[in-house]
Amino acid sequence: MSVKERNRPAVAATVFGTLAVLSMSLVPQVAQAADAARGRKVMTTKSLGNCAACHKFPNVESPGDIGPDLIESMESFGPEDRAAVRQWIWDAREFMPHTIMPPFGANKILTPQQVDDVVEYLYSLKR
Amino acid sequence: MTVAMAAVLAVVVGSLISCAETRASEKKVSLTPGPEVEELEQSMSYEEYQKRYKEVFGTATEEMAEDGNPAELALDDGLDLVNAVAGSKGLSCASCHGKDGVKLKGIAATYPKYDPAIKGIATVALQINRCREGNMGAEPFKYESYDQLVITMYVKSLSNGVPIHVSIDGPARPFYDKGKVYYFKRQGQFNFSCAVCHVKYAGYMARTNLISNNKHHGDHWPAYRLKWGKTGSMQRRFRGCLKNMRAERPAFQSEIFRDLELYLTSIANGEPVQVPGLRM
Ligand code: HEC
Ligand code: HEC
Repeated sequence: MSVKERNRPAVAATVFGTLAVLSMSLVPQVAQAADAARGRKVMTTKSLGNCAACHKFPNVESPGDIGPDLIESMESFGPEDRAAVRQWIWDAREFMPHTIMPPFGANKILTPQQVDDVVEYLYSLKR
Repeated sequence: MTVAMAAVLAVVVGSLISCAETRASEKKVSLTPGPEVEELEQSMSYEEYQKRYKEVFGTATEEMAEDGNPAELALDDGLDLVNAVAGSKGLSCASCHGKDGVKLKGIAATYPKYDPAIKGIATVALQINRCREGNMGAEPFKYESYDQLVITMYVKSLSNGVPIHVSIDGPARPFYDKGKVYYFKRQGQFNFSCAVCHVKYAGYMARTNLISNNKHHGDHWPAYRLKWGKTGSMQRRFRGCLKNMRAERPAFQSEIFRDLELYLTSIANGEPVQVPGLRM
């Protein structure tokens, strides 16, 4: 498990980092580069992210209105906030313990790769 | 594993546990008396919710009602079952409850209710089966079977227009509490609770679905649902939402579902019974 996979509090991150370094020598890692198009697909697919159930983002028909408009949200996130944006998707309870937003990474709804792809798509909205 | 590594791991595990504890303990509100549930603000007033409903559906619901409720046609089959002799004792429901079950008028408005014989909550559906087995020596109806649904529907329709008044005090209280705790409990892969949708986000759109306010969840079951293409019980609807939550689905008429049905019906206290319902 890599640090990138979980943005845990500092102590945990360090240790997972240590374990990741240890395990990397044993298990070959096959990480793909994050891909915005794949991320979008995850966000619009009902059995995957289904983000459109709650959020508005470009070119989705009748999005839900439970969560904020993600175009507007991304205006307030800068390049330095990538880890925070990823954490929102991985497990938003880190910021809001009582959120309705499902913990996509922590509860294994999405794979770490899929979460990376979603972050990539979200940042593509800023361009 | 080295001693150093074990020590680090212990710290991590410790910190994760303490994290979880803070999360679980904050923002809880006490019921009187009994258990604790997550505090959620109601999204909007019922009037505001109705306004949104109109905006989303326009006159679609009225038009649907004008076309008629297919379940109404099945009420006659329910009536026949009430008068039909079944089981080893040669009795029908009518033997005890009058022809066409007339003596049951108004009764369903008090259900679900505490029953000392089972030391728990009896729903109308469960009570019908208890009468069949205990009083008639007949086979219980299989839950969600046609016969089971139509007889329940007919018996409940005998209370149409009567304000719901289920008791949640005295011996019913602990069961009401259990139902309420279940309603507020986060569960399933998505970490939803019933309440987070039907209280905190009632009136919001989940894609094209308007999330309903729970005030009228208890007054119209069994109901005909267009999406099912047939009649179903409130507990079938529970199972539908639980499936969407990717959560475990208790069995029909299990203890927890009866407690949950009591909790939801009590929210509709004062509202008239309207069975069978008609839903999209
Ligand atoms: C069931 C509803 C729901 C789903 C599904 C959902 N979200 Fe959210 N999301 C919310 C809510 C509500 C908030 C605002 C925080 C709150 O009030 O709980 C939020 C917040 C966010 C934020 C932070 C926005 C900000 O302005 O700080 C991001 C980013 C985000 N969601 C992305 C996503 C992505 C990407 C997906 C799909 C993989 C997704 N969400 C799925 C409900 C949802
Ligand atoms: C993610 C959101 C969500 C969650 C969680 C959820 N529901 Fe629902 N529920 C809906 C939607 C959407 C509908 C369909 C539209 C409507 O009637 O609200 C619905 C419908 C219902 C209905 C039918 C309402 C009617 O008037 O006919 C009942 C009853 C119900 N839910 C109970 C529950 C219970 C009990 C739970 C928890 C075990 C639960 N729901 C969890 C979104 C949710």
